[in-house]
This record gives sequence, C-alpha cells and structure tokens, in this order.
Amino acid sequence: MGEHAATGLEKWLLDKTGKDIYFWNFQVLMFFTLFEVGAVFFEHIPGTDIRISRFMVWGILIVVGIIKGYGIAAYFMHLRGDPRIYTRTALFPVLFVLLMLWGIGLSNPEAITELPSWCTPDWDYATNR
Amino acid sequence: MSAHNNFVANSVWSRAMLMAGAILTIGIVAFGALGLGVGSAKYDTYDSAKTAYYDAMEDPTVTEDELYELHHVEIDAHLSYLTYWIAGVTTLVICIVYAMFLGVGGFINMMQPQEEHGHDDHHGDHHDDHHDEHHGSASPIIMCIGVLLFLMGFPDFVESTRPLLGQGGSFVAGDMILSMVGLTIIMISIANWWREDLPFIGYGEQIATSAPFEGEHIRKAGIWVFIMSEVMVFATFFSSYLRIRTEWCTKWAFDEGKCSVGATEGDIVLTASDYLRPGGAAGTGDFWTMLPGAVNTFALIISSYTIVLALKTAKDKDWEAPKNFLRFFLPNKKIAVRNYLIVTLALGSMFIVLKLVEWSHLIAEGFTVGTVQGSIFFVATGAHGMHVFAGLLIMLYLVFKADTVGYDEDNGQGIEYFGLYWHFVDLAWVVIFPAFYLY
Repeated sequence: MGEHAATGLEKWLLDKTGKDIYFWNFQVLMFFTLFEVGAVFFEHIPGTDIRISRFMVWGILIVVGIIKGYGIAAYFMHLRGDPRIYTRTALFPVLFVLLMLWGIGLSNPEAITELPSWCTPDWDYATNR
Repeated sequence: MSAHNNFVANSVWSRAMLMAGAILTIGIVAFGALGLGVGSAKYDTYDSAKTAYYDAMEDPTVTEDELYELHHVEIDAHLSYLTYWIAGVTTLVICIVYAMFLGVGGFINMMQPQEEHGHDDHHGDHHDDHHDEHHGSASPIIMCIGVLLFLMGFPDFVESTRPLLGQGGSFVAGDMILSMVGLTIIMISIANWWREDLPFIGYGEQIATSAPFEGEHIRKAGIWVFIMSEVMVFATFFSSYLRIRTEWCTKWAFDEGKCSVGATEGDIVLTASDYLRPGGAAGTGDFWTMLPGAVNTFALIISSYTIVLALKTAKDKDWEAPKNFLRFFLPNKKIAVRNYLIVTLALGSMFIVLKLVEWSHLIAEGFTVGTVQGSIFFVATGAHGMHVFAGLLIMLYLVFKADTVGYDEDNGQGIEYFGLYWHFVDLAWVVIFPAFYLY
C-alpha cells in the first residue's frame, strides 16, 4: 500500500484517463461485486431461459473472488510495486491453507461419495472406524 | 500544530474527550431517532399485527388464507421493528465503546505531567539528529497481557453481570474483577501507545538489518506477518465450513440430485443463504434480505478505497484542494486526510450495524446458533465482524491524530500499515460473502 511511481498499466491508465490505478481498481471491484450478487439474485440469465446452475454459480463466485482478491492485494495493498519479499510473505501460508482445505475441508466421508477420489484424503478411518 | 513539530501539549488530549462527547451525542441521537422514535412506532405496528393474528386464530370465521396473510403481516412488522431497534441499539453501543476508548485514553494522557511528552520536545527542527531513536513500544505487549486477563475472566464475567442487571443468578466477583483488571490494563496500555505514537513524525522508523526483510521497515514486515497469521485463522473457519457443508443436503445439492437416494425436500439443510437470497429454500429471501450483506460488501470496498485516498493524500507533497464541490469536504490536506478517515470509520461502523440487523432477522426467522449451520455461520461472520470492530477502534486513533498532529508524507506510514490490515479484512469478506451469503 506504499506509494510507488506509476508504471506499465498504471501509467497507461493515468495518461489515458487522468485517473490513477486506485480509482480503476475501485471501479472493477464494485462492478464485479455487482456481478457476484447478480449471479445468485437471478435464477435464470436475464432475458433467457437458461437456468443458473450450481456449477455456474461456483464458477462465477470463484472467478470473481480471484479477480477481487487480486485487485485488493495487488493494488490496494500494493504488493505490485512493493519488494518481492512481501508477496512471498503473503503467499507463504497458501500452502498451509490448501492443506487445511484438503485435509480438513474435504475429509468428510459424505463428501467422498460426491467428489472425485483424487481430491479427497480418502483416509480409511474416515469411513471405517 | 504542524506535523513537523512533534511537541504535543497535554491540552491536545482534551480534544479526544471532546470527540468522545461528540461521538456519544451521535449515538444517543441515533438511538433516539432509530430505536426510540421509529422503533417504538414500528413496535406498535408489530404489536397490533400480533394481536390481530392471535385474535384471528381464535376466530372460527377466519379462513386459512386470511390467517396465513395475517401471519406474514405480523412477521414483516416484527422484522421491520427489529431493523430499527437493533440499528438504534447497535449504534448507541458502538458509540459508547468509541467514546469510552477516546475519552478514557484522552483523560489518562491529559492527566500525565507535561514532562511525559518532553522526551520528544527537542526533536522539533532537529529531527535528523535523532534517526537512531527508534519508534518501538512495549505497549502492545502490555496490552496483550490485559487481553489475556480480560478473556480469562470473560465467560463468567458475562454471567456475573446478570445478577447486577436483575436477571437472576448468583454474583461471582472473582472473574469479573479479573476481567476488569484486564480491561484497565488494556485501556492504560492503549493510552500509553497513543501517547508514544502521537508525536511521531516519521523519523526513527526501525529498519530490519537482516534477511529476509533487510532494509524494510520492521513495522511493515510485522503487520504482514500478523496478516499471514490471520489468514490461518480464517482458513480454519473455511476448512471447518467445507468439512461440514459437504455433508449437508442443501437446496443446491437437492436440485442437482446430489443428495442421498430417497432424500426428500424435508431433508434439505437450510443455510444462511437459503434465508437471505431470493429463491433460497427457506422461502424468506428477497431483495431486502439480500440487501444488508450486499451493501456491507460495497461498504467495505468503498472504505478500502477511502483509506487508500487518505494515504495518497497524506503522501502527496503537491496535494491541491479539488476545484469542484468536493472542496467543501476537502479544503486542505490535513482536513482531507481526516475526512477520508472519518468516512472509512463511518462505513465500517455501518457494516457492524447492518450485520447485527441481519443477524437479528436470521435469528427471528429461526436460523440460530443452536444449529450446526448457524454455529459455523455466526462464528465465522462474527469473527470477521470482531476484526472489523477492532480495526474501527484503531481507526478512532488515526482520526484523532489526523485531526490534531496530522499526517503527511513523512508519517503517513501509520495509515499505510493500518490500511494493510483493513484491506485484509476486506479481502476476508471477499471470501466470506460468497461462501456464506450467496452459496
């Protein structure tokens, strides 16, 4: 979140629009939040008979979450522009988070029947105690 | 008082007490208007609707459809009453806590002998000579001891307050005293922390001298490491949620035929999103139930932007007041930084108020902490709410400093480091909102 000289995309946006990267990042975050809420607000894609399925909602929420997360971390927290060590620090717990989501989150015996075997721990004692 | 003169007179702290009074007034007015004013009127409407419904239940001439309609009128009236009453009470409580923090902190520092501030007096125009004087503080450690004691006594502290409020039970002084001692230590350490930081003008920032953060500000590295520990805290909530959620036969799973063979609609597990989103299985969701969560999402994003603007303004050496109508809001750099921080504080406070209004609606609808799905929802969103509230208490001090000493390009990193925490809270909501509210 430190102040850095605008480069690349940031400089281009500033030159073309007169608004800095924070402003545009804010606009993108607002737009995608609206999109995210809309995804579950409507049962069908507006103007069509296409039902918004569970997997479509998953896709939208995950993609929008990644975009918003990147926008906040890269520009508002200014990991882009700050020394690399901060990005590495930020990414350090990701391994543990993934391990927790896999080892705890997907360890439910009921989940094993629904999810592919490769993405569940599939421990014996989960089903045969 | 210039930001380049780090002499802080004791009298400055009286301004904290003044701000505390102003905040308390806002809380009382909000409670009067929302809770006692509109809330009372809404309660009368609810009372009438409830009486009409119960009378109709006794009346054999009333049809099932009419009874159904009356019941819904009663529910709507109850939720409407809850909205205003909870908003009023929450605003009042928040303002009391804000006023207590600012007022007590300000009072403690105002009562200090002037010499207590004198250690920085000579920095004035010769701050370059004191680069080696660091900005470290023991106050956070003392505060942690206070938090430890407060939490040790907290569970029974709550029980001990019941007899004092005439709600039955027996009064046990021990844990209450432990909590009060903890709270006192917290207040004193925070006041001391403020007193140490207020004169700070950006010189004497400790620099890391070894890898991996060599050359970086220790405070910045520290806040990042702290944020990473917070990531793990929220990861426990998500992994727990995922663990139990995959077991539930939710409306989504039922519609997709993913529930166990023979499952009927009666087996569907109702999640918070079933109550909140339109088309949810509880049948209570519509635009209005979705609104608080959605507004809160926008509020956090806007607050993230306003704190970025506060930092950007503070760091901008060539800052000029805008030419349009915003010049009334941002007449000069010092006031602009302060006002951006006040907007951030207001948006964060609104987040808490709307969250509790939403909780009250969910509880009234039957989604309580007594169920597994309610438990994980309230714990995860409550933990996030506590993070927001803790951030707001810190932001109170930032507003105070911006209003008195001021932030500029030299000491703006105070906003930057707090901003990192605030953005993290926003980032956590980016995950919590879709996971708990939308899906």
